[in-house]
Parts: sequence; structure tokens; C-alpha cells
Amino acid sequence: MTADTVLEVKNLKTWFYTRRGIVKAVNGVDFTLRRGECLCLVGESGCGKTVTALSILRLFDSPPGRIVEGEVIYKGLDLASCTIQRLRQIRGKDIAMVFQNAQSALNPVFTIGDQIVEQINAHGQVSRADAVAKACRLLEEMKISQPERALKMYPHQMSGGMKQRAMIAMSLSCDPCILIADEPTTAVDVTIRAQIMHILQELKANRDMSIIFITHDLSLVREIGDRAAVFYGGKVVEVDTVEHILESPAHPYTIGLMRCLPDISTDSKRLPSIPGNTPNPIDMPAGCSFHPRCQEVMEVCHSKDPALMNIAGVHAVACHLFSAAGGKN
Amino acid sequence: MTETRSMTRGKAGMPVYINRRLMNYYWERLKKNRLSLVGLGFIVFLALVGIFGPLFVQDPQKVDFEIKNMPPLGCSIQESVYDIKTSEFTTTLINGRADHPLGTDSKGRDMLAMLIAGSRISLLVGLLASGMAIFLGTFIGVLSAYLGGWVDNALMRFTDIMMTFPFFLLLVLIVFIFGPSLAIIVLVIGLTGWTGAARLIRSEALSLRTRDFITASKALGASDARVMFNHLIPNVISLIIVMATLSIPGVIMAEAALSFIGLGDPMSTSWGTILNTGQHSLDTAWWVAVEPGIMLFFTVLSFNFFGDGLRDAFDPKASV
Amino acid sequence: MSSAQILQVRGLKKYFRVISGLIPRLSGEIKAVDGVSLAIGEGEVLGLVGESGCGKSTLGKTIMRLEEPTSGEIIFNGVDVVKLKKKDLQAMRGKLQIVFQDPDSSLDPRMTVGGSIEEALIVHGVQDPAERNDRVAGLMEKVGLEAGFVDRYPHEFSGGQKQRIGIARALAMDPQLIIADEPVSALDVSVQAQILNLMMDIKDRDGLAYMFVSHDLSVVKYISDRVAVMYLGKIVELADKREFFQNPLHPYTEALLSAIASLRPASKERILLKGDVPSPLNPPAGCRFHTRCHRVMAICPHSEPEFREVAPGHYVACHLYA
Repeated sequence: MTADTVLEVKNLKTWFYTRRGIVKAVNGVDFTLRRGECLCLVGESGCGKTVTALSILRLFDSPPGRIVEGEVIYKGLDLASCTIQRLRQIRGKDIAMVFQNAQSALNPVFTIGDQIVEQINAHGQVSRADAVAKACRLLEEMKISQPERALKMYPHQMSGGMKQRAMIAMSLSCDPCILIADEPTTAVDVTIRAQIMHILQELKANRDMSIIFITHDLSLVREIGDRAAVFYGGKVVEVDTVEHILESPAHPYTIGLMRCLPDISTDSKRLPSIPGNTPNPIDMPAGCSFHPRCQEVMEVCHSKDPALMNIAGVHAVACHLFSAAGGKN
Repeated sequence: MTETRSMTRGKAGMPVYINRRLMNYYWERLKKNRLSLVGLGFIVFLALVGIFGPLFVQDPQKVDFEIKNMPPLGCSIQESVYDIKTSEFTTTLINGRADHPLGTDSKGRDMLAMLIAGSRISLLVGLLASGMAIFLGTFIGVLSAYLGGWVDNALMRFTDIMMTFPFFLLLVLIVFIFGPSLAIIVLVIGLTGWTGAARLIRSEALSLRTRDFITASKALGASDARVMFNHLIPNVISLIIVMATLSIPGVIMAEAALSFIGLGDPMSTSWGTILNTGQHSLDTAWWVAVEPGIMLFFTVLSFNFFGDGLRDAFDPKASV
Repeated sequence: MSSAQILQVRGLKKYFRVISGLIPRLSGEIKAVDGVSLAIGEGEVLGLVGESGCGKSTLGKTIMRLEEPTSGEIIFNGVDVVKLKKKDLQAMRGKLQIVFQDPDSSLDPRMTVGGSIEEALIVHGVQDPAERNDRVAGLMEKVGLEAGFVDRYPHEFSGGQKQRIGIARALAMDPQLIIADEPVSALDVSVQAQILNLMMDIKDRDGLAYMFVSHDLSVVKYISDRVAVMYLGKIVELADKREFFQNPLHPYTEALLSAIASLRPASKERILLKGDVPSPLNPPAGCRFHTRCHRVMAICPHSEPEFREVAPGHYVACHLYA
């Protein structure tokens, strides 16, 4: 653990014990988050990226969910095993979260102002006037025009983009060290998405804060990410700097994912696609979970699950094509 | 509407989905729920008792004061008699007798015979009245939701009026006019009990109506009747079943309550009428009230268990 | 388009009446589709782009008369759909079909997928069960699913597979035009490509036309021949794909194009639009886009620009090109 690491996730396993069987939503995830960086967790639905984020603050439903193994180290404290009282002090204050759907994340019966002020007061007593002033500043930072007016609005009076920004403002109310943004732009339109991404970019530049940005959209990763971790089947299959991963991805899944994205800047006649469907988390394929869909599948992939190994610098891949020494076998 | 399911095996050797196969599928799913099988077992048992039981026991209305207040077999009570001449209490011990295994009531009627007769009445009233209520409720609810507009408005206001109408007052009035009979009770409960079902089914159907598969069916050119019978009703069926199983015990209780306040059919014996007699002699003959109570309890429970199982079996998404 | 027109829409309007209050009365109208004219040729793909609430889905449903149009003409195959009697409309619907966005809600959860596809055949009078059986199997194979899956229920399939079943259902009566309402928006990227390719293959083989409704310009670029942009119930720009992406004219189109995130670094400065889409209950006067436009002029709030042809086949509604 180096000095500038703010969060370290080690071999995290979050399983859900349902009537149909054990859903191994997160099944051995490792990553570190450095100070001031934006780490993107990329993957398709059911790959475990959201459950990983929820596991950091233990916000998943329990039961049926349980962290069965692993550590989440924040400032020397293991969030996966500490008391719930200790965790509550960290939630919202040190580590804050922004959700995909602002509509359901905001309470419809309180004004935006009340909700932000409540959040400010939840960790440390501040006078009401100070709290309101701070809420106002936060909304301004979110580029909401007439923030005083916005404070008095109820969620249903705001547009989708405004709600999303109000929610980000709320999450910043205690100046957290880490902001977890779970698909904050998935539910909004392209023009609004551009606004939100712009705000997040400014936050990253102006605040001393690390961001975990969860998305299924690789093209957003370029805009905001420093490093990216690609998820598949409840595991990290590739980690690297964003520039490098977009230029020369190594894992067959990452390669496939990038190729099947229709790109506005090219004229393609036919899209390459990854055959098959995303795996069912109750019934994961044996060995490497990607092997049934992999173009370069080998004998070993059917039986042995590859470990995440560094192949060069910060570039780590979990694939039998690569050996620990680096380079392709 | 059954034509969808009436496919026979095609040339391609595809699995077929004829009606019987579908019923097997539901039965297989239902079988996995033990509690619901227990419930079903009890209901079947009760039905058999209701149908054939009266052939084997004595007339439940036969009064014999010689053997009044006999305790059930295996129980005994002490009876104190005050003798005016000697001014003394004589205490005798009365034991249950094998020819009246569940005891007798204060008029010496056999409890077993009465309970068996009562199960016939209670089940009959429960099934008929709640069947009628649920059928009406489904019809009105689905129609109201699917047609919308002024039809919906009119039907729902009518439902509101029916809901505010004092049900017991209506019953008393009708019984007063037509005289107490089982048919009247069934009709009145059936014709007034549909309102809750109609509202629930309407709201469920309303949310279904906007789903894409309904639009898709219309886009294919399906008629309104086809959309209603093939898509809307199958999707509210689990709700209907839950409501039916919940309302059957309610109706059995309502009939009991009516008999209890003396509005029951005087010519028939139901669990409610037995309970009614039992409450007057709770201190001397507790079993007269307790025995029909136990029957009611297990019947209500069985319908609830069975209903839960059915609901899960009909819902392809539920894991059983 | 030199080929014959399969669909012509002229001045189509769809207003939803908003009724509120204890004593119900008309309190306003949502102008979801407010005077749209467009045409689709045989075997052509028209991409229809817009943000949520712009009326693009309503336009699709109104063309199928799943919503009753307020006014305007819809000529499908030479017949005015608006004037059709209910019975003729039902007969026509086999040839004009729709594929939905949400694969979860577009299939009846209580019906086997075979039953869902078969319904189209029953409705359109295919009497012989064996023939229906064969055709259902054929449709399943056409969309890349095993015919043996017919008796399974929708929840047993993944999102991509459900979308394939939805496409098979739409294909049942050999349609000439399919309105695809965001068919890939709810799917994962790796599956999205499969469905897009499938739709392209079917089009190439059967020669049918699509109206492809989407909010995603990169998907539209991949599949369309021509592209139309919709904003608050009106089409603001319409052009051939090449022209549209190389030479976008309307400021809204410019902003949409610049807002697209790409794997490659952006070449131009991003245009950030102010605020959100205004409410269609009360759209801005004049040009509806003027409240968010980065090139707004004095005339824009007062006069509504005409939708006119500024280059061959390139239509735009903006005062910049008057």
C-alpha cells in the first residue's frame, strides 16, 4: 500500500444467497484507488461493477447479500468488517455516492435545500444559515442557475438534468475524499450527459477528491478516467491507464467490447460483435467465465480461472494468453 | 381463446404446448410447495366430508335433552346439581361417550353430525358467494381498465356507491323481505362483495394496459376481446387467485357472523349457528364453541396456504 | 429516394389533452407531435433522433395508429391509414409492425414465446396449426434462436434473446415497414451489436424498410440511410446520412453530434447546451430551440422558422438558413 493510495479493495467477494442459488455477484475483485485519480469500473449489466461499489459502503441488501471474503481498506480501517456505527460515520462524509436514478434517490416530500442541509448536519453540527449558504455554493458549483430558488424546489419541480446535479451537490455536502458515481449519466439525454460529464471533469480538476466512476460506456471512460478496470463475470479482467487500455487493450473481452461499439467517427458497414450472452451469475461457466464467448479460447480456459497479473507497469490482465512475465504467450 | 394452446405436434418435432401440458406444468410447480399441498389436502377432505359425511351420521337436528352437554370423548366435566329438598350440592362426573365422540350441545344434538353438516354449508356458501364476487369483480375491473374513459368513470363511481352501502343493513332488509334462506345469503354476499376485487383488478389491469406486450398485441391486429382474454386476464390471474382464497374464508366468516346474529337460514346447520349456540354455554360446555372455531381456523388457514401455492405456481417468474 | 415511397406522412399532429381538477376540465395540451412530414422509401432506413420527450416514440405509435392522430395524413402503401376502418386497420397491421425498446415489457410474461409469435399468425387467419407451427419455427431460426425454445417463457431468456423474439413477432406477417422504437437502447453493448447486425441482415434479405427511432446518433449512423432530428414535436433537420454527418446545419444537430462521446479524442470543442428540454405542455414561442440555442438571433423568439430544403434532399428548420 503506497502513500497515495486512499482505498484498497482486496479479494472482495460479495455473494447473494437467494432461493434459486448463490449469486456470486462479486467474486474476487482487487483494485486500488489513488489520491486525486478517477478510476473507471467498466462492464456490462450483471458484471458486478455496481455491487462492488455498494460493497465498499456495504449498502447492498443484507440478507440476502453478504461479504464472504476480502477487505476494503480505507485509511487503515477495513470497511468490510468494521462496526456498522463506524461505517455510518464514513458513509456520506468520507465516501459519498451518486446513483443512476436521481428520481428515486431524492426524497419527493422535502425540498432540495432541506435535503442538502440535512446531509450537511448529519456529520457535524453547523448553523442553519451556514448550511444553507454552503448548499447554495454547492448548487452553484453544479452550474444550477438561481441556486437560491433551486433550494426551495421539490424534486418533481426540477428537470431530470437538474435533479442529477442536485444529487451530486448533495453527495459533495461533506467534502468527501472519495466520490462513487454509479452510472450517473445513463438515465439522462445526450445533451444533459455532456453537462454532467463537464461538471464531473471540473470537480476532478478543482477538488482534492478521488472518483470511482462506474459505467457501461467505454466512450465516457476516455472523457474522465485516469485508470480503468474492466469487469466481467464478477471479476476484474483488465486494469490499465485509460489511454493505454483504449489504444491497446489486451484481454479478448476488452478488445471485443471496444470493437462492437458503433463509433460516430468511422464508417463501418458491419459491426463486429461478441457472440453469446452475458453469463448468468447463478450459473457461471467453469474456468475463465469468458471462455464460452472468447475468440481465442484455449484448452486451459475451460478448467482454470486465470488470475489478475501485472504484465507491464500498471497494466494487469486476467487471461491465460498472458504470462506473469508479460507479453503474449 | 383456447386455440393458442391447442397446437398439436408439428412436423419440426417441436415441443407442443397444449392445455394438458400446461396444467401439468402448473401441477409440478404446485407440488413443490408442501404447505399448499397440505392446504389442498384439507380442503379436499372437507369437501368429501361435506358431500358424503351426512350419509353416515345421525340427523344433526335431533334433540335429546337426556344427553345434553356431553363432553367430547376423552374429556370429562363435573356437574353440580342443587337439590332443593336436601339443600345440598351433588356433584357428578360426566365422561365423554363413544357414540358422541365430539360431545353434544345444550340441546343434546350430536356435535360431529352438526360439524359435518356445517362444513357442507360453509364450503358451499364460501365457494359460491366468493366465486360470484370474484367473477363480477374481475369482469368489472378488467372492463373498466381496458375500455377507460366514461365507461371506467361510470363503473368506478358505481363501485364507490356499492362500497359505501351498508352491507348488513341491506342483508337485514332483504332477509326481512324474502325470509332467511341460504340462497339469499349467497346472492347478497356475492352481489355486494365484488367491489374490493374490482378496484384491485382494475388498478392491476391499468398498469398492465400500458405495457408494451399489450401494445404489441394490438399492433399485430388483435381484437379487444383477444387482448383482454389472452393477455390481460392471464396476467391478473394470480391476483384473482389470491383474492379468491382470501375472500373464501372471509365469506365463511361472514356467513358465520350472519348466523350468529340470527340472520342465518334456520333450516340448516352451519359453523356459525353452532358457534352462536356455543357462546351461551361457554362456561358449561366449552367444546360447543371451540370445535367449530377450530374447524374455521383450519379451513381459513388451508385456503390461505393453497392460495399462496397457486399464486407461485401460476407465476412463471416465481421460483418454486 | 428514387424508389417508391412506402410511407408518406404529411402534417401529422398528435396532441394529448391534459385533464385535471376535481371537476375534470381541459387544462392544456401536450403537443407531442406537432406537424411532422416525412417519407420512407421501400427498403430504406430512416433514423429518427431526439432526446426523451421530443415525441419520437409518439410519432412511431401514431403512424401505426396505436395513438389516434389529431390531424394529418399517413399514407402507407397508397392507403390513408387515418381514414381506415378498424377492421381494415387490423388487416393492414401485419405489414406495418413495431419493435419495442424494453425487452422485458414487450413480451407477455404468462405466454410462451412461441405463443407470442404465433398470435400474429392466428390474428391474421392462418388456420392450420401445423402450418403455424412450422412458421413459428422458421421465424425463430430467422432471428437466430433455436426452434426448440418455443415453449419457454420470456423470463428464461436474456435481454438480447427477448429482443430477437420481439423481432420475430414483428416479422410474422412479412411486414414492409418496421418501426423500431429504440430497439437496442436497453441492451448491453456486446449484445447491441448482435441485434443491429441481425436487423441489417433481415433488411438486406427481405427488403423491408425501417423507421429506426433512437437517441443514440452513433447507432443511427450505423444503420440508417437518411437521418431526421426531432425537437419538441417537430423535425428540425432531415438529410441523407453522409450529408447529415458531414454537414450538419441546425445548431441542435451540431450540439447533439458534439455531445457524443467517442473512443477517439474529440477534434472540435464541445458545444454545451444550456438547461433542459422545455416542457411540451408549454413550448417556447418562435423557434422552439431558441431558449437553448448557442447561435440564437433576434428573430428566433418571435418567428417560427420554416422547414425547407436548403440543398438537394437536405431539409432544415432554422432562421440561419432562411
